[in-house]
Amino acid sequence: MGDVIVGQGLTKVYGTTHKTHALKGVDLNVQKQEFLSIIGQSGSGKSTLLNLLGLLDRPTEGSLELVGTDVGRLSKRERAAFRNEHLGFVFQFHHLLPEFSVRENLLMPGWIGGQRASLGAARARADEMLELLDLGDVKDKRSNDLSGGQKQRVAIGRSLMNSPDIVLADEPTGNLDTKNTEQVYSLFRRVHEEWGTTFVIVTHDRSIAEQTDRIVEVRDGRIEQDVRNEHLATSGSRPRTP
Amino acid sequence: MLSLRVALRFIAKSRFQSLLIVFGIAVGIAVQVFVGSLITSLQASLLDSTVGSSPHVILEPIEKGGAFAYTEDVRSIVRDTPAVVAISPQIVVPVLATKGEAAVPLIVRAGEFAGLDGIYKLSQRTVEGEARTGGDGIVIGKDFAEAYSVAVGDTLPLALADGTSVEARVSGIFDLGVQAVNEGTAFADSSLLAARLGLAPDEVNVVETQIDDVFSSSAVADEWRAALPQLEVGDWQERNAELLTALQSQGTSSVMIQVFVVIAVMLGIASTLAISAVQKTRQIGILKALGMSDSSTGLVFLYQAGILGFAGTLLGLGLAAGLIALFSSLAAGPDSGLFPIKLQPSFVTLSAGVGISIALLSAVIPYRNTARLDPIEVIQGG
Repeated sequence: MGDVIVGQGLTKVYGTTHKTHALKGVDLNVQKQEFLSIIGQSGSGKSTLLNLLGLLDRPTEGSLELVGTDVGRLSKRERAAFRNEHLGFVFQFHHLLPEFSVRENLLMPGWIGGQRASLGAARARADEMLELLDLGDVKDKRSNDLSGGQKQRVAIGRSLMNSPDIVLADEPTGNLDTKNTEQVYSLFRRVHEEWGTTFVIVTHDRSIAEQTDRIVEVRDGRIEQDVRNEHLATSGSRPRTP
Repeated sequence: MLSLRVALRFIAKSRFQSLLIVFGIAVGIAVQVFVGSLITSLQASLLDSTVGSSPHVILEPIEKGGAFAYTEDVRSIVRDTPAVVAISPQIVVPVLATKGEAAVPLIVRAGEFAGLDGIYKLSQRTVEGEARTGGDGIVIGKDFAEAYSVAVGDTLPLALADGTSVEARVSGIFDLGVQAVNEGTAFADSSLLAARLGLAPDEVNVVETQIDDVFSSSAVADEWRAALPQLEVGDWQERNAELLTALQSQGTSSVMIQVFVVIAVMLGIASTLAISAVQKTRQIGILKALGMSDSSTGLVFLYQAGILGFAGTLLGLGLAAGLIALFSSLAAGPDSGLFPIKLQPSFVTLSAGVGISIALLSAVIPYRNTARLDPIEVIQGG
């Protein structure tokens, strides 16, 4: 199976006079349909790596290819369009839009992308997604009226609405209790298995990472360890030890 | 259209704030239209009461007190000037009006009634009797009638400079609103005096005219000076420099008020929109992270400003129309001391344009800030 992420020598330096090297020449390849986690302590560079993979930031050095596209050559507008079409995001703070209903939040990526599907088809997909996420009863509510767990499930639904090639999740359960954390991972796993979506999950919690097929550990801006979780691996991932 | 949809949601979500902006714009627009219309109407009312019943451009002989031939050549030049709306060739005769023992100096302006009425609006300003000057009829001023107890129907002997006298009959009493005119001027038909003065049929002492735009009197006068070098051409602006200065000052003050109102409205909208943009930074960051382009997120604030500007302008125009209607109904009351205000279409157009334009202009800063916003700042900020 081909690589959907090919990162080579990814380096990120913040500041000009006082330079902080957040990433120091990271190489990372991720195959299609992989379910992997990036772990590391706070400040290790794992979120910086995810921001680069999500085209929310540009590397200071190195090259990055996503889904066969050299994204380093894309303009700002093209990067935004690429994010919308190929990537799904789940953030720690869910980042829903309080002005819109739950269903509208799910429809938002489609609206931004110019609604490639018809309005009816998009609505049907949103409703189907809401049922899958067990949110059918709250679809017309505003996001502020939901519990933390419900909000995160809406965010997951939103990340999947455009059928992205890769879902990037940054501490998606950081603000959830154990029960909701379990629910979120079950959902990720279910979507991964049913739809074959590639998942890259950043977490600082090793017990959560151990539920993924591949664990990439980042320390001081470098990949410290890259191991396949043999116990749970279900897909054809390609573990690599540096 | 997503930008418009998001803009509408932002407006709806911050209802109170949106209403404040709309009212802010509305008050600014209403003040602009009302004050503009008020000052324009005041100026029109002032002009009407000061120069509305007096000549605007005058033809006289070079030699003061003399007469000149109002030939067809001169007539055609005057008549063919498009701005001219009233023409009154007159014989102007100083006489002594005798009433009992009193002999009172009076200037009689004699000419065709239609011309005199065109300049002095006698038919509208007659307070007693009839505005009629045919035959021996004479129309005198209110203050003259009161001072010398002259009534409609009375005979008024008029002594001319050569010692002869003419008997005139008072047909009406006018009030032109100026005491000096009401006391010292009378209007009669030229037939009453022309023959006595030995003037040829086309000879007159003055030709008085009114033009449609009073402020173009200088231009008309200059044109006639060039065409009629044998005559003295005068216009009301050069003869009433102080009044003109007052009217021009009023116009300038009106413009100043408009400018300050526009600045105040603009600052109000700009600051509120800037605050709104800051408040919505998180949402804009999320939309950008999801793939919305810089220009589309910027458009959100442009639409927001446009919608608020349009709503505020519409409400402001309604408020102004209401205020003007209220003021006019008060002015219509007896002895209100107020003058009627007319809604000036030019101010409506100008204010509508200004209202929407300044709202859009106010969105420039939020637009630029939004374009510069990096979604990562929002995403990492939580």
